[in-house]
Amino acid sequence: MKLLTHNMLTSHVKGVTKGYPLLIKATEVKMNEVEFNPQFVSRMIPKLEWSALIQAAEELGHRQDLPGELVPDYEKDEEFLKMVHRVLLEVEVIEGFLQCPESGREFPITRGIPNMLLNEEEA
Amino acid sequence: MTEPSTDGSDVRYYCTAGNGMERFLIDEVKKKLAAQHVCQLPGKVLFSSSAGIDRVSELKAAERLFLLLKQDSPQWLSAHASPAKAASLLQSRLLGDRNQWACALMTWSRLQGELTGRGRAVNPASSALGMTRKTEAGKKNEEQKQKEERYIGASTKSARERREEEEEEDRRLSNVEQSGMKTLEKKSKREKEQRGIEGVKAKESKGEEDKSEETHIEAQTQEKKRKRGDEDDDGDEEEEKCVKKEKTSDRQSRTEGEEESGVVMAFNSCRQNAKTPGGTDERVLQPVLLQPSSVPVSFRISCKCTGSLSRYFSTQEVSKMVGVGLSRLMGWKIELKNPQLEVNVCLSNDDCLLGIPLTRLPLANRSYIQTTGLRSTVAWAMASLAEIQPGFCVVDPMCGVGTILIEAAQEHKAAHFLGMDNDDGQLLKANENVKFAELGNRMHLLKASSMALPLPSASVDAVVCDLPFGRKFGTKTSMAANLPLILAEIERVLRIGGYLVLLLSPQLSCLLKKLLSQKETSMTPSQETKPATRIQDCPATSPSSTKQQTPQIHQDVNSTPTEETDPPPHLSSLKHQTTFRVSLGAIDGLIHKYVKIDT
Repeated sequence: MKLLTHNMLTSHVKGVTKGYPLLIKATEVKMNEVEFNPQFVSRMIPKLEWSALIQAAEELGHRQDLPGELVPDYEKDEEFLKMVHRVLLEVEVIEGFLQCPESGREFPITRGIPNMLLNEEEA
Repeated sequence: MTEPSTDGSDVRYYCTAGNGMERFLIDEVKKKLAAQHVCQLPGKVLFSSSAGIDRVSELKAAERLFLLLKQDSPQWLSAHASPAKAASLLQSRLLGDRNQWACALMTWSRLQGELTGRGRAVNPASSALGMTRKTEAGKKNEEQKQKEERYIGASTKSARERREEEEEEDRRLSNVEQSGMKTLEKKSKREKEQRGIEGVKAKESKGEEDKSEETHIEAQTQEKKRKRGDEDDDGDEEEEKCVKKEKTSDRQSRTEGEEESGVVMAFNSCRQNAKTPGGTDERVLQPVLLQPSSVPVSFRISCKCTGSLSRYFSTQEVSKMVGVGLSRLMGWKIELKNPQLEVNVCLSNDDCLLGIPLTRLPLANRSYIQTTGLRSTVAWAMASLAEIQPGFCVVDPMCGVGTILIEAAQEHKAAHFLGMDNDDGQLLKANENVKFAELGNRMHLLKASSMALPLPSASVDAVVCDLPFGRKFGTKTSMAANLPLILAEIERVLRIGGYLVLLLSPQLSCLLKKLLSQKETSMTPSQETKPATRIQDCPATSPSSTKQQTPQIHQDVNSTPTEETDPPPHLSSLKHQTTFRVSLGAIDGLIHKYVKIDT
């Protein structure tokens, strides 16, 4: 699971009102080099929940120099885009859990794919 | 009809397309190739374009690509009572004059040369030879080839130099890149012994199916589906056969040196016939041309006759007629097994077409897809309807092996694609597909239910989905019963203005129309609680369920007395835009497009 995906995911357990962002408990994290596409990154940034990204990067120990606030004119700031690119697309949680911040429900991540399926009584 | 096209001038092509795909192909050739004189026949699109063959051969909505030799009106075909007279007329009409064939051969060989480096050409070795030594476009082709080989890999070129035993293996390796090739490989071996101009068809469709057992069930089913599709779709029938044959011809020409010089001879003669400019380098090449062996161009006729004409002549008769005639006219050699050239003849009530296939594999075989799911052309068409823009987040809530998203991600480099499925096996294959297509930077997967999407409301720009038809995978729960819930979830996560593109079975399509129209006419929740009754009267009464609907009701329907107590889903913000009916092989599917509106 890449952090770009994590940034979109919410806990959808029945009754949960604030299921975002999911906490990450990783047991295996991999860095994969991925082709850098500045247009892609700068197009994704406005859609991100920035604070959730910072939190996730911190949990995984990959925040590096990522600022707590989005920098202005980031489209032209290639260094910044590369930094975001690394955190968004190169950090990958292979094994571990995602946890709902409200209910505590854990969603396993296996072979890089988070399992967000709910039981019948949870849906 | 083909002009002796020099670089930059128009070449007239035609493509075969699955039923219902013609309109997508027309849009595509106009948009991507600035095609002109586009015309549509059932299962085919004819067009002229000056775009490079590399771009033409990257069309996504087409099945196979041909150089158009001749297009004639079919009316005259049925007008003659005497078989002998009709035969003679047919032959002369189909063959036309010598010059036309010579020009066509030249254009074909030029295009082949340009394709060679890409490993897609019908007959890379011989055409490369013919080209790089011969035509005025030679220099350009060399550049093109070198450029392309850099990323395609030098498999074609290097293989040529190896011994034959190695070639077999090498080819297999390089073919792994091509989707669907594993089965074809087996097929080709099997059928090498038992093939003629015609009559292979029947064996193929049956025999092929048991041969593909080792491949994944997914791929296998698709292959079967395709097979059936080919029987239904006009013109597609020959596809697989051609592929195999061309593969063998490929090898033959690589190993037979004499034949190559024969090709050069033929190219030379047709250049003279065509009286094209720039023939000054011919003298330089004379020594080569005068070398031994005057083996002419070898060819085979691949013929398909339907309609009124087939009452006069069998396909075999027409094949023979054209083959013998062409051999006499041009001095070319009929070679059923490993010809350099294949001439496709297609005669029906609607059209009369002659063409030469330009690629070894159907364009619909994607080099970037490892495990095939939905037919790639249909997946592409769906993606094209979603109007994806840079920065979009596109979700497929039931992605299977990910075909639709892969097709979409190929064309949209700055969008994010999220595929979900509740089946581990499918996700595993999808994951391999993503890696194989090198889309890991923009396409991601997760396991989730389409009835409970783990995404915030209004967070998605487009949703694409091939709703399971209930044929391939035995779904525990009925799709018909779940459809309202699935749609409600899709609607929730879509932003306003976002598009939903769904592929449905005729039954589900009918049900969906019903669901949405009810929602429009009445907002009373109680009406939403009994889908079973609505489904049953659907085929009979729904005004929107056109004649196309099959009377059979989805099996699952009867077993859904809906004990759902959930509040009825709110579907009203999905506004229907268009519906397209496309062939998926064994059955048709309906593509619905909706836009989410502000209510």
